[in-house]
Amino acid sequence: MERDNVMPIVLISLLLLALTGTAGAGPLDGPGAPTAVICSACHGFAGQSQSNTMPILAGMASWYFKKAIQDFAAGKRTSPEMEPYAKQVVQFGLDDVAAYFAAQKRTVTPVTSDPAAIERGRAAAAQCTLCHGASGKGDPAKGVPDLTGQPPGYLKSQMLLFKADKRSPGDAQLKVVKALMATIPDEQLADLAAYWSSVR
Amino acid sequence: MKDPTRREFLWTSGLGLLAAGCAPTAADYAQKSGRRVVVIGGGWGGTTAAKYVRLADPSIEVVLLEPNKQFVSCPFSNLVLSGVRTIDSITFGYDRLRAHGVRVLHDTATAIEPDAKRVRVGNDSLPYDRLIVSPGVEFQWEQVEGLAAAQDRVLHAWKAGPQTVELARQLQAMPDGGVFVLTIPPAVYRCPPGPYERTCQVAWYLKNNKPKSKLIVLDANPNIISKTALFRAAWASYPNIEYRGSNKVVKVDPGTREVTTELGDKVKYDVLNLIPPQRAGTIAVSADLVGADKRWCEVNHLTYESVKHKNIHVIGDSTIGLPVPKSGNIANAMGKISALAVVSLLSDKPVPPMAPGNTCYSWVSDREAIAVVNAYKIEGGKVVQIEQKLTPGQSEMWAQNAVGWATSIWQDMLG
Ligand SMILES: Cc1cc2nc3c(=O)[nH]c(=O)nc-3n(C[C@H](O)[C@H](O)[C@H](O)COP(=O)(O)OP(=O)(O)OC[C@H]3O[C@@H](n4cnc5c(N)ncnc54)[C@H](O)[C@@H]3O)c2cc1C
Ligand code: HEC
Ligand code: HEC
Repeated sequence: MERDNVMPIVLISLLLLALTGTAGAGPLDGPGAPTAVICSACHGFAGQSQSNTMPILAGMASWYFKKAIQDFAAGKRTSPEMEPYAKQVVQFGLDDVAAYFAAQKRTVTPVTSDPAAIERGRAAAAQCTLCHGASGKGDPAKGVPDLTGQPPGYLKSQMLLFKADKRSPGDAQLKVVKALMATIPDEQLADLAAYWSSVR
Repeated sequence: MKDPTRREFLWTSGLGLLAAGCAPTAADYAQKSGRRVVVIGGGWGGTTAAKYVRLADPSIEVVLLEPNKQFVSCPFSNLVLSGVRTIDSITFGYDRLRAHGVRVLHDTATAIEPDAKRVRVGNDSLPYDRLIVSPGVEFQWEQVEGLAAAQDRVLHAWKAGPQTVELARQLQAMPDGGVFVLTIPPAVYRCPPGPYERTCQVAWYLKNNKPKSKLIVLDANPNIISKTALFRAAWASYPNIEYRGSNKVVKVDPGTREVTTELGDKVKYDVLNLIPPQRAGTIAVSADLVGADKRWCEVNHLTYESVKHKNIHVIGDSTIGLPVPKSGNIANAMGKISALAVVSLLSDKPVPPMAPGNTCYSWVSDREAIAVVNAYKIEGGKVVQIEQKLTPGQSEMWAQNAVGWATSIWQDMLG
């Protein structure tokens, strides 16, 4: 039974190898990979997080990835989990690791939200599009990230951190977004998280 | 949303049941044809190493030896004692690994022959080009008088599985007003914060279900050895904990239901959880991979190759000499690093410098957690810590992040 399962896979991979010469550029190739494999303990293989709380890194724009890592490493965006890992990334080469995740296939979270919450979120989403764009895909020129497809739990917890001025406390550039979050009740933040998470 | 990890992992446990029961055949041990990596131990280190060798180079044959048909996670197993989680929610099968082309044989490695490059499995032998050994820990029963003879009655629950379930049952069956004794061995042992997380979970359960009961913690170490201030703060909500540092237990008598400390104090119990001192898994000792202390294995910090035998790599709890804790997160990181190193070595390519990372979340109640995080670099060919960071307190957010961590890392190993 076991051999029946395994042999075809072995044969297929041998065949593929014979056809292509060497294994093609995969999720473990590139100079950033040896550092990036450490991140999968939380962010999933190749940054394709399957959990509700850990953000997806696969396909993340490298400008935003680098800003996030620099903010964590400087202790500006406070996170006891990320500050040490950010320093480790800087140590091994930020550009390489950013390039690694940017090159991974963008996935969307498998965590689904209540359709009613998504609809309520859609109705309230206009206040976000000014910065995040109508599609929610963000705007590098304004330093605004892509929200779509991220896990709803992650989006909601970040909005709560903005609201309490706990994400990059005191950052002048985030004054407007934090002031906006402060006007939104927590239940609506959850609806907005559900909506932006569901946008493809 | 009550238990997202369980929901997301149904596939692994479900499939695991289907495949249980295929005994290896003689043909499984046949002479190898191409390049082969053998992995001993299907726990945190071994599963990860086996999977990542296949991911990095599918032309390499990988055989994983693991006697257990199901994997049970030690991380989160303290929550089974408090009834916050079920054992099923932390139990997974090995079938996704098989889908990666790993040949999983449910068998025990009985000896290693480094010169012949063979692993003995009873009368069979399994040739390898590179061997990765991740057998976890074995208990030093002889260190506590009366323990060796009472192994089946005195529970450790320090390898998640039937003992975890039995200890939870005994806790539930204990009358209100009973005494639960937890004993902690001297460092170094598996999972430094684990016994203190267990203290929180047992105390939480007693507080809510048996308020007249007491939890006595007999710690061989002078003080809490990990996240000290955070655990102290958490314990403030559990007046039922009586913590005694520098109280090494040297004797157990299940007949009189009593343990004796080095100082000669006798402590009576209704339920006992005795965590014995530990050393590297037995195969690492019998294969002469351990150092002069006869307990732990020293390795090269870049490749995890044993300093004692060529072509044999040791990872996980069995290792010593790196500035890392004995944690599942570290075993997982070592699994990936050793796999990429082995693939490079088998292809005559240079091994890139790679450093592990560690996060240990500890649940201090049914809904709140704390964490310690360690980052590392390579300096002069050695793993060196960059920094250690603690959560500033306990919160539900870190407990939710712990669930995210478990979801991701279980999948990294077995998905
Ligand atoms: C209560 C508790 C809570 C914990 N919580 C955490 C936590 O929150 N986070 C964290 O990171 N870590 C935690 N840990 C620690 C973590 O479980 C260990 O560090 C981890 O299991 C080590 O991995 P390993 O591969 O070295 O050993 P293991 O995971 O124990 O795997 C060893 C495997 O090898 C097999 N084996 C042994 N000998 C042989 C042989 N001769 N042939 C074939 N197979 C063999 C065994 O059956 C076993 O499956 C906890 C531990 C405990 C006990
Ligand atoms: C212990 C779990 C853990 C590990 C391991 C981990 N991270 Fe994170 N990461 C988190 C958490 C939690 C957050 C959200 C932090 C916050 O609250 O702002 C995060 C956030 C991030 C973000 C910001 C994402 C966004 O959308 O703003 C980036 C980028 C990131 N991590 C990169 C990495 C990299 C690269 C590694 C590996 C070197 C890594 N992480 C390892 C837990 C982890
Ligand atoms: C004034 C411009 C602005 C508006 C309006 C705005 N945002 Fe943002 N948002 C930002 C910026 C800038 C960042 C990046 C912050 C940083 O770099 O740390 C951000 C980041 C975020 C993040 C974190 C993403 C991540 O990956 O970590 C979330 C979630 C978010 N915004 C949600 C929203 C929602 C929902 C709305 C509407 C209610 C909204 N934002 C409106 C500017 C804005």
